[in-house]
Amino acid sequence: MSEHDTNDERTDADERSTDRTDRPDSAGDEEVRSWTESSGTGTVNIQDLTKVYGTDGDELVAVDEMDLHIEAEEFVTVLGPSGCGKSTVMECVAGYLDPTEGEVLVNGEPVDGPDPSRGVVFQENRLFPWKTINENVRFGPQMRDSVDEGRIETLFDQMGLEGFEESYPHELSGGMQQRAELARLLANDPDIMLMDEPFSGLDAMTKELMQEKLLDVWEDDDRTVVFITHDVEEAILLADRVVVMTARPGQVKDVIDVDLDRPRDTNVVTSDRFNELQRRASESIHDEAERAMEQAEGRA
Amino acid sequence: MSTRSTTERIGEWFSGSLPSPTRGVRKLLSLVGFVAVWWLFYQFGVLNFEHFVSPWTTIVEFAGALAGQPLTEGGNTIYLHAAYSAVRVAVGVGIAAILAIPLGLVVGTSQRWESLVYPAFEALRPIPPIAWLPIAIIVLPAVAIGSVSIPLSALFVVFIGAFFPIYTNTIEGARNVESEYRRAAESLGASRTNVFRHIVLPATLPAIVTGLSLGVGLGWITVVAAELVTGGPGIGYIIIQASRLLNNQAVVIGMIGVGALGYASSALVVALGRWLTPWSET
Repeated sequence: MSEHDTNDERTDADERSTDRTDRPDSAGDEEVRSWTESSGTGTVNIQDLTKVYGTDGDELVAVDEMDLHIEAEEFVTVLGPSGCGKSTVMECVAGYLDPTEGEVLVNGEPVDGPDPSRGVVFQENRLFPWKTINENVRFGPQMRDSVDEGRIETLFDQMGLEGFEESYPHELSGGMQQRAELARLLANDPDIMLMDEPFSGLDAMTKELMQEKLLDVWEDDDRTVVFITHDVEEAILLADRVVVMTARPGQVKDVIDVDLDRPRDTNVVTSDRFNELQRRASESIHDEAERAMEQAEGRA
Repeated sequence: MSTRSTTERIGEWFSGSLPSPTRGVRKLLSLVGFVAVWWLFYQFGVLNFEHFVSPWTTIVEFAGALAGQPLTEGGNTIYLHAAYSAVRVAVGVGIAAILAIPLGLVVGTSQRWESLVYPAFEALRPIPPIAWLPIAIIVLPAVAIGSVSIPLSALFVVFIGAFFPIYTNTIEGARNVESEYRRAAESLGASRTNVFRHIVLPATLPAIVTGLSLGVGLGWITVVAAELVTGGPGIGYIIIQASRLLNNQAVVIGMIGVGALGYASSALVVALGRWLTPWSET
């Protein structure tokens, strides 16, 4: 019995050492890191991802064997009908949920819990109501003992938050809260930004301004963005690639390359190419939305 | 003007077509109305109230008590009685808070602790605080302050009364912390300790303040009940002693004293709550 156990351990250790020698630079941690950086940090690899909620008899397959590879610095929007499991995918990438099967690799490493290199913006504003805007924005750097005053100041300026440092979130307008949340995320300088329908609660005008703000931010720095939405226009306006998901159980139905010029602003929505892409995406998602609605009615 | 009936005018007043009185005036009206009902009951002998005392003599007697006239035999003033009761409430609620808040936070956030602690306390919770008095009298010693011997049993009953509202509110508050705040903090790099300190604790504070407020209220209810049994000095003691001596005037003064102190201490808790949660919208 004990002999068997030791054997197992040895096999594990052997495998790990083989892994290590497979890498181009295995001399030291620093060199390993520089190697990953040269290949671009911020790749997301979703492999065979399956997520099942509930237990025997009352199971709900939210995501079923989904595969998706996202390049470093790519802006990907995930478009899907409500209840299709797109948030579940994001929660697995964020590290809040463990996949039932398959795995999520970030920079080649399996995701193990939340990490500041993967920043998250939620559908509803999640600024901490008990902290001022200033305390919210510097929360991440403070947690990691790396507050960069210059960076914080630049963010306040960039997001138009000067003068609101000592305000509490509820004293700000919806758009301003969303900008503050973006500032809080950027203060941590994440490689990957995970955004779950962040603008869905905003009015049309504010939404447009926030979309432009996000495009500015993304074009300035090298970051990967995974942006979840059910808004076809938003999906195309922002993305390099639009990933269309099926109704539950979620799978990749279609991937649309968005070849519109960058930098973009919201005027691009009037172009012919945009309309063509929008029609394609709308057609692709239409049947899925219908199926999702039937599912929702069946449940009710 | 003469064509409109009184009921119509009252209706107009309620529907706001007449200028409604300011908040301060309405608060004053509430007190005046209360005294008016009391006076009417006394004047017309509703429910044998004619044997009771009128508001006017009460006001005079109360002023005398406030001026330092002794209230009970032994020559103790209302201030001394009030001080004894207030200390029992403050210490009892204080100890309850010191124990109930950490326990509630642990039970509300950890399933392991919940299964370990929760059932036992749920079994104790329905027992009325005053039912603890016989055990408290046997188990707890009396402390001597100067020449007076003060039993700790009343204080213990206050502690029990205040403990459970603080405990249960803290648990509920900690359980109901939005998981997305926790997730947001984790994704920003917060450790478990920091998630507790920066998320769970402040998010639970409003519920803790609610618990404290209920705890102080129950503290006053239980202190009077306990003092009725254990004796004085104390406001509850004034009431029971005066009742035995058929001194209705002193009974009413004792009641007013408890009411005023309870009101003042709940205002204190509200102020504490505002100071602790400056972000709250109300």
